[in-house]
Amino acid sequence: MSCGNPHATPCTEVLSLLYVYIDEEIDEVHRIEVTAHLGECPPCVEHFTVERRMKERVRAACQAQQVPDQVRSRIIARIQQVSITYRYE
Amino acid sequence: MMPRSAPGNASTGMDVGAGVVENLASSMIALDFDAEAARGLGSLVMTTTETAQERAERFERDAMPFMDQLYGAAMRMTKNPTDAEDLVQETYLKAFGAFDSFTEGTNLKAWLFRILTNTYINIYRKKQRQPYQSTTDELTDGQLHEAESHTPRGLRSAETEALDRLADSDVVEALAAIPEDFRLAVYLADVEGFPYKEIAEIMGTPVGTVMSRLHRGRRLLRESLADYAVERGFLVVPPDAEAHP
Repeated sequence: MSCGNPHATPCTEVLSLLYVYIDEEIDEVHRIEVTAHLGECPPCVEHFTVERRMKERVRAACQAQQVPDQVRSRIIARIQQVSITYRYE
Repeated sequence: MMPRSAPGNASTGMDVGAGVVENLASSMIALDFDAEAARGLGSLVMTTTETAQERAERFERDAMPFMDQLYGAAMRMTKNPTDAEDLVQETYLKAFGAFDSFTEGTNLKAWLFRILTNTYINIYRKKQRQPYQSTTDELTDGQLHEAESHTPRGLRSAETEALDRLADSDVVEALAAIPEDFRLAVYLADVEGFPYKEIAEIMGTPVGTVMSRLHRGRRLLRESLADYAVERGFLVVPPDAEAHP
């Protein structure tokens, strides 16, 4: 299912580049092609939007994670213990 | 992958103080511990370049600020706070022990994540007696293109809206449920923003494998998140019901 309009780059090719595009791993030539295609193909835009949003949601959900203070203190103490042993023996 | 060598601690006769670190480090086989052999000569090397104290200070200054990020990844790997704490601690101890093999100015964050990943694979996965979650990394062209046709208009935008309404805890749970290799690839790309090349180095796989893990991981995650959205009443039609009959 496509928007029905002819495109310089076919939808299948654009969709195969979806992840390298949103991950910014795409080369400049393909990036320009994909961007041009997205400017004229709403169905492809929907695909890209949902994948990009998912990436953002994963990042937001996981970045809330911080080392609890007690855990941080224990780890730092352990490293310093080894560090001091290492330093003076 | 970097070339590997077996730890050479048995024959180097290192001093007693380094022994604590050596014992921990010697359990590691997948990292390049070329520097291990050199540690027997450590006092000589260190006096000519950097004192042990300077190195310890540099470690504390440069490596410790990554603790939140390492802990976040450790939580996603081990799925529980106790193991995550142990894993981060082990990672730092090993990193400290091997810090003279780290080239200043190169990517410390990637280096620490590689130690974290190797430590997890070598110790925790064995400890938990979990069989290696074998994942078929190779995708056929047919599989690659399977998802690459348009779904009916409107479903994707409904899915996007539903994603915004899902709680963080649902997203974390959905991520936890996908196979380990896929989960880690998605985590390193999406949360830590590592480029494919660095993920490949961290996971010890070719870039192509990273890409297929991301591809499959994200597809599984999207299906799972859609299920959560349906369950929560944020989405009426499962998006994949029509896309993959």
